[in-house]
Amino acid sequence: MSVPIIAARDVSKSFFGNRVLREVSIELRAGRIHALLGENGAGKSTLINLLSGALPPDEGSIEVDGAAVDHFTPSEARRAGVAVVQQELSLTSQLSIGENIGLGAYPIRFGLVDYKALARRTRAACAMVGLDEDLATSVGDLPLGRRQMVEIAKALYREPRALILDEPTSSLSAHETQTLTRLLERLRAQGVAILYISHRLNEVMALCDYVTILKDGAVTADRELAGVDADGLVRLMVGRDPGDLFPKWTPNVEGKTIISVRGFSCGMARDIDLDLRRGEVFGVGGLVGQGQEDLILGLYGARSASARVAEFNGDSGVPDSVLKANALGLAYVPADRKREGLHLIHTISFNMLLPGYGRARGLTFRDRTNERDLARSLAGALSIKGDLTRPVQALSGGNQQKVALAKWMPNKPAIWLLNDPTRGVDVETKREIYGLLRGFAAEGAAVLLSSSDTPELVHLCDRVAVMREGRIVARIEQAELSEEAIVAAAMGANLAERAA
Amino acid sequence: MSDAGATPLFVRRAALFLRSGPFLTVLVVAAVWIVAGLTMAGFGSYGHLRYMLELAAVIGLVAAGQTLVVIGGGIDLSVGAIVTVSAVGVPLLPWDADASGVAAVLAILAGATGIGLLNGLGVAFLRVHPMIMTLAMATFLQGVLIIVAGGSAVSMHNPLVAWLGEARPWGVPAGIVLWVVVSLLTLLILHATPFGARIFALGANPLATSLSGVDVRVTTMAIFAASGLTAGLAGVLMLGMNGQGYVGIGDPYVLASIAAVVLGGTSILGGSGTYAGSIPGSALLVTITALITVVNASPGWRSILFGSLILGLLLLSGRESRRR
Repeated sequence: MSVPIIAARDVSKSFFGNRVLREVSIELRAGRIHALLGENGAGKSTLINLLSGALPPDEGSIEVDGAAVDHFTPSEARRAGVAVVQQELSLTSQLSIGENIGLGAYPIRFGLVDYKALARRTRAACAMVGLDEDLATSVGDLPLGRRQMVEIAKALYREPRALILDEPTSSLSAHETQTLTRLLERLRAQGVAILYISHRLNEVMALCDYVTILKDGAVTADRELAGVDADGLVRLMVGRDPGDLFPKWTPNVEGKTIISVRGFSCGMARDIDLDLRRGEVFGVGGLVGQGQEDLILGLYGARSASARVAEFNGDSGVPDSVLKANALGLAYVPADRKREGLHLIHTISFNMLLPGYGRARGLTFRDRTNERDLARSLAGALSIKGDLTRPVQALSGGNQQKVALAKWMPNKPAIWLLNDPTRGVDVETKREIYGLLRGFAAEGAAVLLSSSDTPELVHLCDRVAVMREGRIVARIEQAELSEEAIVAAAMGANLAERAA
Repeated sequence: MSDAGATPLFVRRAALFLRSGPFLTVLVVAAVWIVAGLTMAGFGSYGHLRYMLELAAVIGLVAAGQTLVVIGGGIDLSVGAIVTVSAVGVPLLPWDADASGVAAVLAILAGATGIGLLNGLGVAFLRVHPMIMTLAMATFLQGVLIIVAGGSAVSMHNPLVAWLGEARPWGVPAGIVLWVVVSLLTLLILHATPFGARIFALGANPLATSLSGVDVRVTTMAIFAASGLTAGLAGVLMLGMNGQGYVGIGDPYVLASIAAVVLGGTSILGGSGTYAGSIPGSALLVTITALITVVNASPGWRSILFGSLILGLLLLSGRESRRR
């Protein structure tokens, strides 16, 4: 058997003491399309960064053509013939298609850019991906799918021996996907090693030869794809031991419906029917970026939304502003707490008191004693320790998240909207947050929890709706809740359609 | 408790105060006054110091509104034009019927507030960047002023304005009294009201602020309106001290007010600071101007010196720790 073009051997990587990869090995071989699967946060992106030299491994080594390379840098990777098509587009929108494709690798002749050679090679790369736009078109004018094709052409321009594609089809049309499939098959025949990351299992089953599955940073499968079915893949990606992370709770008997929308649309979220009841934790699952955020921000009045029928806590119509939503008893806890939830430079107590400052009308005076007592009692209730006059950025991620939750508690929200509240949060804080959320529900509030963490949906929620491409594609009741069911529905595997 | 408990609270408070921007600025002003007073004849006389404070009052008034805007994450480049509007506008208002002159002053102040409100509307609703919005407003106002007032100076006959420029209740110039009152109000609003807290939140993170249920638009409009009002007040005071207004009289106050705010330790990035720093900041600016005048350089060199000194002082005091 031939030597792999590029390989990782027992690599480990940690961020801030958090192990995201543990002793992972992967081999990219010529003429093989290799699928890399795993849930959000399983470590796929980190592994790609190691293979492309963007990050150094803490332990283990990267091998090129069978020989370990000590300091594997991006330029080293380029020399080895590794090209990556990133999930987040790396194009410069002001530059033309041609300039973007050649960027950083312009052919040089007599010390000057050889524009003739550039045009020739760019055209060849574009032809391969079926880009027939004028090369002088600026990339900013292209729709997302076409930009993705430019990104792929940019990788091909470098005539790679190993091509890594991170979710290349997530923004492509069916036709473009087909072009890409044919292209990849052709490259395989030419002996290029391809690493293909996708959440679309059907694509993977049809296209790939070999599969590596990551779960919580460790390899759970590394084998030929032949003989595995989609069901088996899903099982290998999920199924960790939930342990005693989750509180004991009893499903609340049918509470009164507090939010009811029909045909709700906002941004990417389209045509959503939703009934949220008092006393329940309603889960929203799905892959990252399937419209969950638009759904939540739309309900919260922070993005313009429309609905055929909408009733919020006795008020008809979707709230058209955050102020209106707050008045109706809604509270919002964002996924990106640093950007949307907290004022990092301000103190812990300031952050906890801010919604109160927002509610105050006219020119009244602040009551410092009251403020201090309130902040102390909130900190006590959420076991946030230490001096409350420290800036909130001094706190750990978990404690910051607790502040982002605590600030709403004086309002006694009737409806909690939470977007991935446990992202980047340590296990102990997760346990506390889970306890809080069930506690809110037990007191009669309605909790809408969007999460990319599947176990949390299974073990915390009364019901779960799964979103894909902006729509709710499955509704799963408590009795049928399982990680397999959620992941399968999220990925559009056929076995999921029994729900809905 | 924790190790922080080992040092008594008042010691930590005192240490914090001694290292704070406002206090350091006061120290710098005091040092410059003492050195200049000992070395230059006439600099340290009571009359001269009082005169410098009167000049500082004008900057301080403009800086009051500017401080609110900068803490709120914006910047107001139209303050110079608003000072001019007010200094030129009062004499031009044909209200001879009102013997006290109060009506004309109130009308001008309302106008100045209205201009600020328009700035706020543009920033909050049209989402124009504050720098663009207020610069455009300044340019617009300058055009109107040239058409209305022309190139010549206009003298005023307004008793209230004249009193403000000349009266000395209890031996203190009325302008300084006005500055003290506005200072107290500004400090109260900023640090003792929920509205003030909203300004600090807005400047630190506007997105999180709006998602926390703060009416960001109203807050934005309010701070720009306040900036218009204090610039208008400064214009009235200028007119009283000068006796006449002319186009361009307010121009120096754009840089001066921003410099006073930043010298006082307020972050130009918004979200943190205090007017307590802008007060000595204003005094420091006037002191620099006085020193440059003493040096007896030509107007061109004076301007160059002033600009370089401000830049140098900002480099010294405004070493803003990187964040975000």
